[in-house]
Amino acid sequence: MTPRTWLGSWLTVLGTLFLALGAGAAPPPDAIVVGLLAEPVTMDPPQVTDLNSTRVIKRMFEGLTAQELGSYTIVPGLARSWDISKDGLSYTFQLRPNVTFHDGTPLTAEAVKFCFDRQMNEQGPFYKTGTYPYVRGFLGNVASVEVVNPLTVQIRLKAPLAPFLQYLAHHSLYVYSPEALRKWGKDVVKHPVGTGPFKLETWEPGVKVVLARNDQYWGGAPRLKQAIYVPIIEAQARLAAIRTGEIDLTMDVPPDSLDGLRRDPNVVVAETNSSAVWYVALNTRHPILKDRRVRQALNYAVNKEAIIRDILRGTAIVSHGPMSPVYGAYYEEKTQRYPYDVERARALLKEAGHAGGFDLTFFVPESGSGMQSPVEMATVIQANLAAVGVRVKIQTMEWGAYLKKYLEGPDMAEMSWNPSIGDPDHMMYMLLSSDRFPPAFNAGFYQNPRVDELLRAGRTTIDDARRVPLYREAQRLVAEDAPWIFVDHGKQVIVHRTRVQGFKLHPNFDLVLTPVSVQ
Amino acid sequence: MARGGGGLGGYALRRLALVLPVLLGVSILVFGVMQLAPGDPAAIMLGAQATAEDVTRLRRDLGLDQPVAWQYLRWLGRVIQGDLGRSIPLGREVLPEVLLRFKATLILTGGALLVAVVLGVAAGILSATRQYTWLDKISMAVAVTGVSLPVFWTGIMLIIVFALGLRWFPSAGMLSPYGGGGLGDLLWHLVLPAVTLGTASAAVLARMTRSSVLEIIRQDYVRAARAKGVSERGVILRHVLRNAINPIVTVLGIQVGTLLGGAILTETVFSWPGLGSMMVRAIQARDYPLVQGGVLLIATTFVLVNLLVDMLYAVFDPRIRYE
Repeated sequence: MTPRTWLGSWLTVLGTLFLALGAGAAPPPDAIVVGLLAEPVTMDPPQVTDLNSTRVIKRMFEGLTAQELGSYTIVPGLARSWDISKDGLSYTFQLRPNVTFHDGTPLTAEAVKFCFDRQMNEQGPFYKTGTYPYVRGFLGNVASVEVVNPLTVQIRLKAPLAPFLQYLAHHSLYVYSPEALRKWGKDVVKHPVGTGPFKLETWEPGVKVVLARNDQYWGGAPRLKQAIYVPIIEAQARLAAIRTGEIDLTMDVPPDSLDGLRRDPNVVVAETNSSAVWYVALNTRHPILKDRRVRQALNYAVNKEAIIRDILRGTAIVSHGPMSPVYGAYYEEKTQRYPYDVERARALLKEAGHAGGFDLTFFVPESGSGMQSPVEMATVIQANLAAVGVRVKIQTMEWGAYLKKYLEGPDMAEMSWNPSIGDPDHMMYMLLSSDRFPPAFNAGFYQNPRVDELLRAGRTTIDDARRVPLYREAQRLVAEDAPWIFVDHGKQVIVHRTRVQGFKLHPNFDLVLTPVSVQ
Repeated sequence: MARGGGGLGGYALRRLALVLPVLLGVSILVFGVMQLAPGDPAAIMLGAQATAEDVTRLRRDLGLDQPVAWQYLRWLGRVIQGDLGRSIPLGREVLPEVLLRFKATLILTGGALLVAVVLGVAAGILSATRQYTWLDKISMAVAVTGVSLPVFWTGIMLIIVFALGLRWFPSAGMLSPYGGGGLGDLLWHLVLPAVTLGTASAAVLARMTRSSVLEIIRQDYVRAARAKGVSERGVILRHVLRNAINPIVTVLGIQVGTLLGGAILTETVFSWPGLGSMMVRAIQARDYPLVQGGVLLIATTFVLVNLLVDMLYAVFDPRIRYE
């Protein structure tokens, strides 16, 4: 026996042994295995703040409103219809009849009120069963939630708020079983009971989450019998797992591997533009950066196409402003553009009196959700700026420390924003209004009175036809003011096996499984 | 450790009594370091989309607005009552969480230790008994390489070769997502991470075993054993290894600590659901209660393993007495 055959037979014996002792089998015909970047943190909707948890809980819970699959258009959710009062202050929702939670209790107006009150009422009996990260942002403007009749609930606002229906489609305002909360208290984080198309079967921490089909689902039971989520932290391991078929669907594989995956007949690479934006915030109070011409010069100096081609391997599109084309009618095409133009950049710097260049510290996180390849991208930006005489010193930091630094308003710093709300307000107002100076997220202290006026008007104008021109004008002004170096809008890239059928991408990075089947 | 009268039991008890002050020191140190690290659990948890009021309110709800010393004392008070608190982002109780993860880490460390001992001691003995032959040179060259390879690199290479290329082993996790779940499934998933984690320790053990065996093999009583006709195998196992083992056990004890530390990287590369990969996330999130709980558990284990090693000396060498 040659060493090679000896090794071969030894491995065969070992393999048989593993299988006999219960090693994994072939993928089941009616279940999908999704490889997540990390395991879900919590399954209590109002407490969820991370994308991995969101991708799982959105299969189990629903809100009064929902987004149409594939777009940000609001469609009925648990409420089958609603009326908004003329003054924009009162929303009356008609709930769907005969909807039950996974524990068999019925969905009622009481239950909706219970879920909102839990977060809003600090003196309430269930307030201490969790911490509610978004309550001020999303419910701060709510004056009251009243039960009109068992299937009618009325929400009154303190002031008109255009994105409110979008807020109701956000997971933090999803409706869950009040009975389950009473039963589990703080441990509700691992006992999710919603109304959604899937319900929790098992959660083995660190190993897997198994969701089972909800046969009683009001919208018709999904085709998949099970959805299994496994955490695979390392990108190379995710790549190996999708190529070998250990998992059916995953995301964030190394950009270098995409060409190979596109050639692999067993997998499909699905990609679409997203609403995410990646930028370098410039401090508009900095003695040099406060000059708009300097900020425009930095925009001309950076070769965004090269960054997207060579570092991101085509998984992004060039950004011309905060909003991406995903926003449809709200997106303004005709803004000032900053193509890569070294001469133009030098001319602008000279005009501003900085022909000899100047020095800046550039803060960069080592990693972070949505930050793409922060260090490599910073290195290219540094080299690009050096070519026009701007000497940039890169300082990298771990994410937690970085976030603290960022919110102190540094001179120049990378950031990305992946809005969870499909409304332009959640992008423009949150990042560029002077109401949002640090410690909020307008870290560059950008202030333009006209932009402020437009964004405030946009928040309170309910009529879409009147809102669109407000945001379009704001985008034109922001592009001219160049408060950021606009770099890119990352694409959403999902890789799945060909046996997965009917999968459709959603702009906010959700993985909707209702229409999906496997062969 | 000392020679003379006294019982092993009394010695063990006195050593155990020292565990508490050690753990107290560790907890103060970790609490202090976590406070010094810039970053705020509330801000990290909420990310960009929350309002400043939400952050302030969350800090208050979590008690993070209290003075640091008070936060520590309040935590300590609860720990004394057996309550390690709740993780900040997870919302779950810390104790069951860390114990569950620790079980996975122990499985991995156990597997790695097995790899280290089998490969390391065998290579060390082979090298020593065939000193200066090509076998010796090759195994020591492999050992030097093994010590030098970073765990994450070895791990990714093993994934590329054995999971993606040859498809012999799974690329991540501790159990299959479907089917499986048995002991065989666990062992199948354990092979690559255990080899990754155990390689460096095997190399250290091989070098230690080699020098320790070489020292003993030249002793007169070994020559005497050979002279009276004991087989070479008997000489090595009964006379040489038995006497060479204490330094090996010492190194092994230290390696357990190294393995527990190295497990952090291995667990991350292979998504092994252990304490290490959980701690990385906890530290990134500034999840103070979870970090404290995890470190206490690791520190306790380390202290107990050291105690065990000290007591093993007497088992292997009856001349050693404790007082």
